[in-house]
Amino acid sequence: MIVSPPPVNACIIDNNTTYVYGFKKLLNLKNLSSRVCTFNNGSEAISYFKNPLNANNLPDVIFLDISMPVMDGWEFMNEFAEIKSQLGKKITIYILSSSTDINDIERAKKNSDISDYIIKPVDVSRLAKIFRDLNDTN
Amino acid sequence: MSFSEDKFSDDSRLHLAQIIDNVNAGIWEYNINTRAIKWSTGFYTILGYAPNEIECSNHLFFEHLLYHQDKHIFLNALNNQNSAKPLQIRLLTKASGYHWFESTIKRHDDQNGHVIYGSIININQYKQAQLQAAKNDLLYSETIRIAKLGSWEIEAGTLNLTLSKQIYDIYELQSQVKLTLDEAISFFEPSYRSVIQHAINNALEFCQPYDLELLFRTAKNNVIWVRAKGVPIIDDFGKSVKVRGIIQDIDNNKRKGLSLESSLNLLTDQNRRLQNFAYIVSHNLRSHTGNLQFMVNLYEETELAGDRNEIFSHIKSISGSLNATIEHLNEIVKIQTEITNERSIISFESIFKNIQSAIKSNIDALNARIEYDFSQCQQISYIPAYMESILQNLLTNALKYSHPERQPLIRCYTLKDRNHIYLIFEDNGIGIDLERYGDKIFGMYKTFHQNPDARGIGLFITRNQIEALGGTIKVESTVNIGTKFTIKLV
Repeated sequence: MIVSPPPVNACIIDNNTTYVYGFKKLLNLKNLSSRVCTFNNGSEAISYFKNPLNANNLPDVIFLDISMPVMDGWEFMNEFAEIKSQLGKKITIYILSSSTDINDIERAKKNSDISDYIIKPVDVSRLAKIFRDLNDTN
Repeated sequence: MSFSEDKFSDDSRLHLAQIIDNVNAGIWEYNINTRAIKWSTGFYTILGYAPNEIECSNHLFFEHLLYHQDKHIFLNALNNQNSAKPLQIRLLTKASGYHWFESTIKRHDDQNGHVIYGSIININQYKQAQLQAAKNDLLYSETIRIAKLGSWEIEAGTLNLTLSKQIYDIYELQSQVKLTLDEAISFFEPSYRSVIQHAINNALEFCQPYDLELLFRTAKNNVIWVRAKGVPIIDDFGKSVKVRGIIQDIDNNKRKGLSLESSLNLLTDQNRRLQNFAYIVSHNLRSHTGNLQFMVNLYEETELAGDRNEIFSHIKSISGSLNATIEHLNEIVKIQTEITNERSIISFESIFKNIQSAIKSNIDALNARIEYDFSQCQQISYIPAYMESILQNLLTNALKYSHPERQPLIRCYTLKDRNHIYLIFEDNGIGIDLERYGDKIFGMYKTFHQNPDARGIGLFITRNQIEALGGTIKVESTVNIGTKFTIKLV
C-alpha cells in the first residue's frame, strides 16, 4: 500500500511579487507543494512565527530572499536564531536570491541555520530534490 | 751665473750674496739697460734644478719656464713701476710640472741703470688648497642655490638665530636684517606657526629632530611650501646646546604632489562609483531577467489557457519594470556625463522657491511649514540641474516621510566654514533607524518603510550627484523625532 506523505509546508519571504507568484505557480504545477505561505519581508514572517496561534501552521522549509525592505534576509536570520528553539519544529532554510555577490554566498555558508544558497531564478530539478529530501526526513 | 760671482763684489755684498744663495727662496735680478739677468742658487733649486743646469736667460724664462697665460701679468708688473704687490704665477718645475709661485717685484735705479729684482717662493700647496676651497665654495653655493635651501642655527640658551644668505633668499628679504626666532616663525602661515614652534621647542627641550612640510608666506607675499628640518646638537650631558637645520623651498614638487594626490583621490572615487554602478547594473538587471526567464519557462510548463494568460500578464509587468530600471540606470549614467557640463552661479533661494511652488499641492495637503535661510551663503557655483534635483529629492523625501501626528516642519539652510559650503536639511518626520539601516540609506532600491510609493532611488541619485562634484552627504536621524542631512557641497 502506498501512503502519500504529508504535504510539505513551504514558505517564501520575498518582496518581489512577480517572483513569488511564479515560484508558487511552479510548486503547484510540479505538484511539489500546494501549501505555500508568503511574506513580503523578514519582519512579517517573524511576527507570524512568533504568534502562538500559528504554532500548528509553521512551514517545513523557508525560501528566503536577502534584499528586502524593513527587514532583510540577514536580519531575519538573526531574529530567527533567537526564536527557533521556541518553535517546536525544525525548519529548513534556503537563501533564494538573485545576488551572485561572493560575500553573500560566503556569509550564507557560515550560517549553520542555512542549508544552502540558491541563485534565482531556480532550477526545477533542484527544487524537486529539495522537496524529495524533505519528504524523506518527514 | 750666480749672485756670488761678479756683481756683489765688495765684502758686504759678498756676504749678502752668500746668504741669498743659501736662502730657500729664489732671488732674481734683471737689468733693463744691459738686459743682464741673474738667478740665485735658490732660484734653480726651488724649480728642482741644480745650479746652472739650465741657461739663465730671459728667453728661457719667458718662453719656457713661465706659464704662457701668466706672461702678461708678469710683463705688466715689470712695466708698472708702482706695483708693490707680489704676483702669483705658474712656473715649470723640473720634476712635477707647473707649480704656483709668488714673486715680489721691486725696481731699483742705480749708477748701472734700472734694475728690477724680486724673490720667488713656492706657494703651490697653499694655492692648490685655495683653488680647491674656491671650487668647493662654488659647488656648495651652487648646490644650495639649485636646491633652494638655506641653513640656520638657534643657540639654546639665548635663542639667538643665525641665518644663511639663502634663508633670506627664501624669505625674499632684500637686506640681511637680523631676525628673532619669533619674527622668523611669523613668516609661516598662521595655522602652521604652532606646528613649527612646537617642533623647535621639542628639539630644544627633548632633543627631538623634526622634518616638516609647511606653508610659508614670503616678504613679497608669495605663499610657498617649504620643508623645515631641524636637528639638535647635544652636549655631553644630553642637553641640546643648539638646533641646526634647513629650510628648503619645495613649492614646485609639493604642489605637483598635492595635485597628483587629489587626482588620485578623484580617480579612486570615480572608480568606486563606477564599480558600484556596475554592481547595481548587474544586480538589478539580473533580478528582472531572472524573473523573465522564470516566467517564460513557467509558460512552457503549462497548457492551461487561464494560467498562460496570467503568466503572460506577469511577463508584461516584468517588461515594464525592466524598462523602469533601465530608466533609473540612465539617470545615473547621466550624472557621470553631466559632470563635464558647465557650472554656473546659482542662487539657493530662487531654486528652492521654484521647487516649493512646483510641489505646492503636496505641501498644502500636509499643511507643512517650510523655513529656509540662505543668508550665510546665498550662491554657489554648481551644475544647476544637480542642485534642483538635490533640493527636490530632499524636500519631497521630507514630505513623504513626515510624521502623521504632527505638522511637518522642514528647515533648509546653508553654512560656510573655512573653504567649505554646507547645505543642511532638517525635518521632524518619522526618522529612520540608522542603527539598522545606516550604511544602506543611500543605496539603490533600499526602502525602509512600508510606504508604497518608496522607490529607493531618490537618495541614491542625490548622493551620486553630490559625490560626482566632490561633495559628501551625511545623515543623522532619530526614529519619531526627525532626520537631518548635512551636505558638504564643495
